[in-house]
Amino acid sequence: MTGIAETGLGQRTRRWLAAWAWVVFAFLYVPIFVLVIFSFNASARVNIWGGFSFQWYGEALSNDVITSAIRVSLIVAAVSTAVSVVLGTAVALALDRYRFRGRRALDGTIYLPIVIPDITMAVMLLVFFAEAFKLIDSFGPRYTLGISTIAVSHIAFNISFVCVVVRARLDQFDRTLEEAARDLYATGWQTFRRVTLPLIMPGIAAGGLLALTLSLDDVVISAFVAGPGSTTLPVYVFSSIRRGVTPELNAISTLMLAASITLVLASLALQRRRASASQRA
Amino acid sequence: MTESVAAVEIDGVTKRFDDVVAVDNVDLAIDDGEFFALLGPSGCGKTTTLRMIAGLDLPTEGSLRIFGDEVGMAPPDRRPVNTVFQAYALFPHMTVRQNIEFGLRMRRVRNPELGQRVAEAIGMVRLAGMEERRPDQLSGGQQQRVALARALVNQPKVLLLDEPLGALDLKLRQEMQQELKALQREVGITFVFVTHDQEEALAMSERIGVMSEGRLLQVGTPREIYERPASRFVADFIGRTNLIEASVESPTMVRLADGARIAAETSMPTGSQVAVSLRPERVRLQPRGTAAADGSSLDGEVCDITYLGHAVVYAVTVGSTSVEVRSEGEVGEPFAPGDEVTINWDHGAAAVVAD
Repeated sequence: MTGIAETGLGQRTRRWLAAWAWVVFAFLYVPIFVLVIFSFNASARVNIWGGFSFQWYGEALSNDVITSAIRVSLIVAAVSTAVSVVLGTAVALALDRYRFRGRRALDGTIYLPIVIPDITMAVMLLVFFAEAFKLIDSFGPRYTLGISTIAVSHIAFNISFVCVVVRARLDQFDRTLEEAARDLYATGWQTFRRVTLPLIMPGIAAGGLLALTLSLDDVVISAFVAGPGSTTLPVYVFSSIRRGVTPELNAISTLMLAASITLVLASLALQRRRASASQRA
Repeated sequence: MTESVAAVEIDGVTKRFDDVVAVDNVDLAIDDGEFFALLGPSGCGKTTTLRMIAGLDLPTEGSLRIFGDEVGMAPPDRRPVNTVFQAYALFPHMTVRQNIEFGLRMRRVRNPELGQRVAEAIGMVRLAGMEERRPDQLSGGQQQRVALARALVNQPKVLLLDEPLGALDLKLRQEMQQELKALQREVGITFVFVTHDQEEALAMSERIGVMSEGRLLQVGTPREIYERPASRFVADFIGRTNLIEASVESPTMVRLADGARIAAETSMPTGSQVAVSLRPERVRLQPRGTAAADGSSLDGEVCDITYLGHAVVYAVTVGSTSVEVRSEGEVGEPFAPGDEVTINWDHGAAAVVAD
C-alpha cells in the first residue's frame, strides 16, 4: 500500500492495473489450461467435453510413430546437452582465462547463434551438411540426414547458451582461490577438479538444463535437418497439426509442457541456490 | 644461532609486468626462524616479492633460493612454503576441516597421520568445535585462524603472510598481532609478512625491509629503521619526523643554511647535501637561553600549539623551517604562541639521511 502511495498512483489506477494484470495473465495461460483439460477429454471431438479419461495418453504412447519421435527427441536432447556442456564450458574457460590470437573475434561471435533467426540457422546448417556429405561421400561412405545431423545442429546452438551461463558464473569467481590451491600443493588439474569445477558447477548445471529444454523444444532447425524416419516430437506435432488438432496431440503437448516446466523449475532452483550461496560469501 | 644457510635468499631479482618494473634488482637474505616484515606503500613491490617467494609470480631476472635450493622457476606446489592470503582465500565449498586438510590430501598424507596433524593445527589456532562449519559461518578473526591452520598444518619451512591483519578491525588486529608473534615462537619457523602498516611492522617483526617503487631501500631491526633511517623516504614513511636541510661539514657535524650546527655522525662526504631527521617526540622545548649550545639544540619561536589530550604538539619556527615537537605528560600550559624557545635533544637523536 505504502509502495503504491509513494509511486503517486491513485486508488482507482491501482485497481485498474491489477485487473489488467489478470487479463494479461489469462491471455497467456487460458490456452494452456484448455489444452491440458481437453487432453483428458473422453470424446474424440476436440471441442466437445465427453467426460474425464486417460484414453488419449494411452493411444499416443502406443502409437509407434509417436514413441519413435519421443525416443529421437530424448536421444538428441541427451547427446546435444552432454556435448554442448563440455564444449561450452571449455570455451567459457578459454575466453575467461587466456589471451590468445582471435580471442576478441571469438568472444564477439560465440553468441551469434543466440541472436540469429532459427530459420537462418536452419538453412545454414542444411547447406553445410549438403556440402559436408558431398566431401565425405567422395571417400566412400554414404551419409544422409537423420538423428546425427539433428544432434549436431542442436550442439551448434546449445554451445552458445551454455557458454553464456558459465561465463556469468566465472565472472564472479575469485582467482585467488586457485592460487591458494596451487600454494597447497595441488597440481593444475587437481586445482581445476577440487576448486574451480565445484565452484562453477551451479552455472554448468543451469546451462545444461537450459540446453536440454532448448533441444526438446526446437522445431524449426530440427524440421530442416531431420531425415526420413527420424523426426523429433515437436516436428511430429507440427506436421500432424496440418491434418487438424486431435486429442492425441493434446495429450502429447501436455506431456511436453510438463517436461518443460519441470526443467525450468529445476533450473530456477539451481540458480536460487547459487544466488543464496554467493550472498552468504 | 650459527652462521647457517638463509631461509630465503633473493639475489638480484627483478620482476617486470610488460613495461612496468614491479620489483627492481632486489637482494635480500632472511634468516632461519626470523619474523621478517616487508613494509612499504601500496604498489611498492612488496606483495610481488612475496608472490615470487611463493611461486605465484616468476621472477624476470635473478635467483631465489629457499634453504639453499634454487626455486626461482619452480611451481608453487614444489616449494616448501605456504601462504596466508590477504582475504584468506578459504575454499567456500569446503568445511573448516576440509580446508585445513587440503594441502595434506594433495600430498597424499593418510590417516592416522592426517587426522592427527589436522587436530593439532585446529588446537593450535583454537578452533576446536568449528571443524564442520563453512567459512561463511565464521567471523573474520576465525577465518584468519583457519587460513593460518591451513598453511601451518603442512609444516612449511617458511610461512608467507600477505597483509594478514588487513581485513580485521583495530581491536582484533592488535590481539592477532600478539597471537601471531606467540604462534611464530611456538612453531619456530620463518615468517615473512607483507604490510603497509608501519606500526604493525615495528611491533611484530625482528627485522624490516622497507620497499618503495620496486626497490629495497633499507633492511634492519625496527630500532635501526626508526632511529637510523638510511634515506629521506624511510625516515618519512616510518613514524613522523622533521627533516631539516643541511650540508655535511665533518664526519660528526652538519651545518644548516643559516649557519647553525648540529652534531650528528655521518659517513657522507664533506659538502654533500643531506637532511637531518629529528623525531618530534625526541625533541624538548625549553625557554630561550636555558639549554647549552652543544650541537643538540636550536633556537626558535613557538608558532602553533595543538592539544591532543595525551600529548601536546608544538610547531616551532626554526630559521626558515617549521619543527614539530611532541610533548607527552606535560602539566599546565608552559608555552604560548610567540614565545622564544630553544629546542634540544639528546645527543644521537639526530640522524643524517641521504636523499
